[in-house]
Amino acid sequence: MSAGATATHPGLARLLAWWFADGGEAEQAGIGEHVLGCTACSAVLDAVAALGEQVRGLSSAGAVQAVVSGGFVRRLAADGVRVREYRVAHNGSVECSVGAADQVLVARLEAPLAGVQRLDLVADDVQGRGAERWDDIPFDAARGEVVFTPRIDDVRRLPAQTSRVRLLARDAPGVERLVGEYVFRHSPLAGE
Amino acid sequence: MTERAALTGDATDLATEPDGVLARRIAAATPGIDREAEAELCRRLAPRVRVFVLREVRNRAAAADLAQEVVLMTLERVRAGKLRDPDALAGFVLALCRQVALGRQRSFARRERLLERYGHILAPAEAPAPAPDRTRLLGCLERLSERERAVVLLSFFDDRDAEEVGAELGVSPANVRVIRYRSIARLRECLGVEAPP
Repeated sequence: MSAGATATHPGLARLLAWWFADGGEAEQAGIGEHVLGCTACSAVLDAVAALGEQVRGLSSAGAVQAVVSGGFVRRLAADGVRVREYRVAHNGSVECSVGAADQVLVARLEAPLAGVQRLDLVADDVQGRGAERWDDIPFDAARGEVVFTPRIDDVRRLPAQTSRVRLLARDAPGVERLVGEYVFRHSPLAGE
Repeated sequence: MTERAALTGDATDLATEPDGVLARRIAAATPGIDREAEAELCRRLAPRVRVFVLREVRNRAAAADLAQEVVLMTLERVRAGKLRDPDALAGFVLALCRQVALGRQRSFARRERLLERYGHILAPAEAPAPAPDRTRLLGCLERLSERERAVVLLSFFDDRDAEEVGAELGVSPANVRVIRYRSIARLRECLGVEAPP
């Protein structure tokens, strides 16, 4: 194969499957061989690797607001990332803050999720102001929890305030059901 | 350029010639040295091998190190005429990658010997792809749906496969593959990365 021209390129979907080690052995070997013979596809994967490194860096810095998993949080901590974690019982409340040295902030919301088809998360203050809605969040019903990471710098800037997070199931179109409500009593700076 | 021209070394620009033509030229030059063909082969193999090895070791420094060794071993064997089918060079390199990167059958002495003999042919290491702009990437991540963002974070954090990511998020592996592809394609587009071939 030449530097730039290859008979048939596998396309991004198959290159990504190879990169993340998905797919059968034969498919993996075939794509691997193609990558070794194709400058263009190896450049695509090099860019994917660079993207992944930057995403990892942002995750470790608590810069990305996202619903994640307990395993993800464990791996962050195992990597040496300083994680401040609050576990909140079903319909419970928690006193919370963030320290100067904390890198990632995590809330674990315990919830009865069996049978839930679709779940939305709504965050606001206790008067219902400043509502922020996260639609169709991923969740593991078997573990009965939702794990989310707010952007840590946003939380650092907050004054003392009480916030509310609600989990809403949407089991049928247009019908919402409250699954859990959680109260976060935030104070600006954790004692260091 | 015709293959004949490439083999006889008449032309000076080899950039568009297939790998196999370069390998034949290098082997045909033995016991002499076709520096132009060797340099071109190393130039194009280095980034490909580096990415291949990076997927295995997930560490750029280690990948660069191992990739250099694979490229030099390839060159040594091509020169020695140990490549039965020059058109199947990628398969040959794949086997070497497995031997070196996967089997970790490394020897410092062998590496030093290879570097001493062939190191001058290696072009300065080509820079890896630049990291996307942090602020722009954050904006692009925020445009993803919650599921897409979660899949991207879990997939990239320590390069988990679809089954592992799916098990943690309560999503089927097939669905993870679709979401992962769609979201990475969207991120690339948002970042202004050229579409793949």
